[in-house]
Amino acid sequence: MTDRTEAVPPSLPAPRPPAIRRVRRAVRAPLKHCLLALCALTMLYPVLWMVVSSLRPNSEIFRSAGLALTHPRFENYSHGWNAFSQPFSHYMINSAIVVTGAILGNLLACSLAAYAFARLEFRAKRVWFAIMLVTIMLPIHVIIVPQYVLYSELGWVNTFLPLIVPKFLATDAFFIFLMVQFIRGIPREIDEAARIDGAGHARIFFHVILPLMVPALATTAIFTFIWTWNDFYTQLIYLTDPDMYTTPLALRTFVDQQSATDWGSVFAMSVVSLVPVFLVFLAGQRFLLRGIATTGGK
Amino acid sequence: MSSINELRRLRGSQRGARQQNKAAFFFLLPWFVGLFGITLGPMLASLYLSFTKYNLLQPPQFNGAENWTRMLDDERLHKSLEVTFSYVLVSVPLQLAMALGLALVLDKGVRGLAFYRSVFYLPSLIGGSVAIAVLWRAMFGTNGLVNEALALVGVQGQGWISEPGTALSTLVVLNVWTFGSPMVIFLAGLRQIPTSLYEAASVDGAKRWRQFRSITIPLLTPIIFFNLVLQIIHAFQTFTQAFVVSGGTGGPADSTLFFSLYLYQRGFGHFDMGYASALAWLLLLIVAAFTAVNFWASKYWVFYDD
Amino acid sequence: MNPSPFRRVAIGAVASLSLVLTACSGGSSGSAPELGDKPVTIRATWWGADARAQLTDEVIKAFEKKYPNITVKGQYKDWNGYWDALATTTAAKDSPDVVQMDELYLASYADRGALYDLGKAKKILSSSQFDDQALATGQIDGTQYALPVGVGVMSVLVNTDLFKKYGVQVPDDKTWTWDDYAKTAKELTDKSGGKIHGAAGAPGFSAGDVKYWARQHGENLFDKDGNVSLKPETLAGMWKYGLGLLSSGASVNTSTMVEDLTAGVTAGSFATGKAAMMGAYNTQITAIQQAAGAHVQLLQMPRVGDTKANFFKPSMYWAVSSQSAHPAEAAAFINFMLNDPKAADILKTERGIPANKAMLKHLQPTLAGTDKAAADYMNAVTPGESPVVTPNGGSGIEPELQRYSQEVYFKKTSPEAAAKAFIKELQGEIDAAK
Repeated sequence: MTDRTEAVPPSLPAPRPPAIRRVRRAVRAPLKHCLLALCALTMLYPVLWMVVSSLRPNSEIFRSAGLALTHPRFENYSHGWNAFSQPFSHYMINSAIVVTGAILGNLLACSLAAYAFARLEFRAKRVWFAIMLVTIMLPIHVIIVPQYVLYSELGWVNTFLPLIVPKFLATDAFFIFLMVQFIRGIPREIDEAARIDGAGHARIFFHVILPLMVPALATTAIFTFIWTWNDFYTQLIYLTDPDMYTTPLALRTFVDQQSATDWGSVFAMSVVSLVPVFLVFLAGQRFLLRGIATTGGK
Repeated sequence: MSSINELRRLRGSQRGARQQNKAAFFFLLPWFVGLFGITLGPMLASLYLSFTKYNLLQPPQFNGAENWTRMLDDERLHKSLEVTFSYVLVSVPLQLAMALGLALVLDKGVRGLAFYRSVFYLPSLIGGSVAIAVLWRAMFGTNGLVNEALALVGVQGQGWISEPGTALSTLVVLNVWTFGSPMVIFLAGLRQIPTSLYEAASVDGAKRWRQFRSITIPLLTPIIFFNLVLQIIHAFQTFTQAFVVSGGTGGPADSTLFFSLYLYQRGFGHFDMGYASALAWLLLLIVAAFTAVNFWASKYWVFYDD
Repeated sequence: MNPSPFRRVAIGAVASLSLVLTACSGGSSGSAPELGDKPVTIRATWWGADARAQLTDEVIKAFEKKYPNITVKGQYKDWNGYWDALATTTAAKDSPDVVQMDELYLASYADRGALYDLGKAKKILSSSQFDDQALATGQIDGTQYALPVGVGVMSVLVNTDLFKKYGVQVPDDKTWTWDDYAKTAKELTDKSGGKIHGAAGAPGFSAGDVKYWARQHGENLFDKDGNVSLKPETLAGMWKYGLGLLSSGASVNTSTMVEDLTAGVTAGSFATGKAAMMGAYNTQITAIQQAAGAHVQLLQMPRVGDTKANFFKPSMYWAVSSQSAHPAEAAAFINFMLNDPKAADILKTERGIPANKAMLKHLQPTLAGTDKAAADYMNAVTPGESPVVTPNGGSGIEPELQRYSQEVYFKKTSPEAAAKAFIKELQGEIDAAK
């Protein structure tokens, strides 16, 4: 079981004389790097601008689109951190709670449903599948009022429940569809083999399919993390007590249309709130490398 | 003798079907509970509201198909459809091409891959935040970076984000800029292709291009298909980016009036939730039609192993 | 399979449907509310940024000290989020007790029965220190649904540093006309060699512009019945004047105006030193001066003849939701915020120059810098009669006006056609809401 890392080229036998190959590679690699670096710089420029702006005084932020920074000012960070009744970490912890619940819920409930859609035959399967897709086609703005009534009847308003429980009920159909596509990419012979060994669906799911769909699970986890971390609307509606606010709610509250917006603090806290997301992605993307490529295909 | 075996197999498969039905029910149980308990109620409520006059603060009044006939002469609705369709048709292919291209490059064979992958994903992380409005103005505004760069080569720029003619294009760029999500899905898909297939092909002497065409692409089609369907659905629903960049107005002069933005303005800005609900169901019908066509067409180009 | 969670969820779903469908407007009883001594918790909600949240939390603490049996839970949101959340919670019969209101939405909520008649709580909530002009801004059809917190008047902000730099005389605002304004602006643009512009935009991006323009021509945007009474020619005249500013280069161009609109006053052309004059409410001077980092002065609006076109515009109101189970306590909290010197000492002018005369008097000696300038300016203005509150159905007037202004200034349509279309659309929204 070796990880399929970058260093191992997929084609083992050399079809060309080694000398030519070496020359071609010597030219190709730096070229590729230059192009990628250029691409990366363009992509990153706005992000860098945001970081630089977080170190500028408010009166300078909107006067320059450049990256020159004469006197870095770290007050924006300390001010932004303490701008509300709770330190900014409080809102990040709230976000972390919501995000963790949402990830667990999506991983569990969506993979279960996806297995049924991808591997089992049942009555009216295509109809259910269509219904599932339709549920993500209606904009939130017309759903929110009846949904609010429902959750307030259940006593869930101003708790994290409206943000977490639905994930355990696989309401994020996006991920079901994603996982269905991945499971269908796993050769059937693998679960046939397990079935011949006498395994039931539960065992096939947990012991055969789940380990094989790690990339899909990692994708789901990463996306759930980022979307929930950035999601604004449902959190705005359901979290009413400021002590329950999450990162995006706190960030939005900085921006007041009527009085002075402390943009330095907005950028500083935006950068701060980006750090965990970036770290999670860095960690999570390693799991994208695993999967059938290493465990299957024997 | 053979007929008995046949009968046995048949009975077995019937039992199998029943068992599968039962198993499927348990696997789908959380989803069923969510569907009937949480999702369907509010959806049906909004469907009913689409046949009412409902101002949010007072009880809805049934008004038949009035909301639906009103759509015919609603010029802003027609404008928003125009904006949304042109956005979907341009930005989805661009974004997917970019995501697929970079996923292929970043799949293997370059040093520092993890770094590049993360860098390319970074923009997607801030795509919908409050900071994006300021960021985009700093790039595409009258005094923005793009114009500063143009000035270096002696070209007089314009306010890209604030001219009705170009504002929508800057949102397309914004969408392409956040291509990280489909890219990650492509990457995961590429990783799922068994190495053994490439090894076998190499032994057969297949060149890289051949391998790419006959292994990588076919095995990736389910994922391409998935991204296509989902990005189309998302593009039709585009809201946050347009809202943040235009300050909720869809301006300048309605040039970025996306369908969802218009719907939101009607529902919450004008307390016209009955009409907004009708608009939402119109959007649902449009998106469902696109998705259905997509699924039908997928028969001809998507390759499933099962 | 256990049926009970299933059933609960099903009941919830049915409840959600039926509640939305049958929700009746919560009429409050006719009797006057009384304060009790049982423990009561009320919710208060407002829009605003971090500074406002901190000050209001402090006031809540002072209030809870005075009324130990009442607990106030404060909730704050950004402007857009605030209105979405308020509409949603009100629709679901779960509205907070004390709500911060805006002139745009006041009639939309009051006419639909969502607000409590404050007249019933007279004994608890005093309005004696407000003059009639200010009280009128919170009345719909003679009922006091809201009390103004702060008021502002329209003004012209000038960046005197830029005037000095380019050797332009700051005009005498006692006598100046719109022509003087245009001339001064052009002079600034010319003398700076195009580096800056005189005016940070042309009129038509806020409802106040139209109201002022209408009033100086002896008209009003809305009549007493809440219908649009503005003549299309008058509105077209405003846009023609704006087109003049644009074509002479006196004002920043249209696309900069659009960018400034989304950037907000503290990040726009004026605040970044790219324009030297801007129309604004006097109370915005503090925020803008901070952002601009320059000397900023308030001038009177240019005038046509002797008309008293300027008017008090409430920066915001406090109101009580008609769904509140504790209107007495909610009224007591509003009374504390508006009438108690302790609250004034904490809040100062963060929500605007107090509309309560006694509180303004109480604060006056402590005001300094731009706050003092704003208060002095207000005293110097002799406003005309209060304009009619934006009627039910008119809550979308600002984006609507901006859209038509942009079409005119981008030359996609003529001022005359746009004026007719704007008035027709606005009146249509008002009719639809009746």
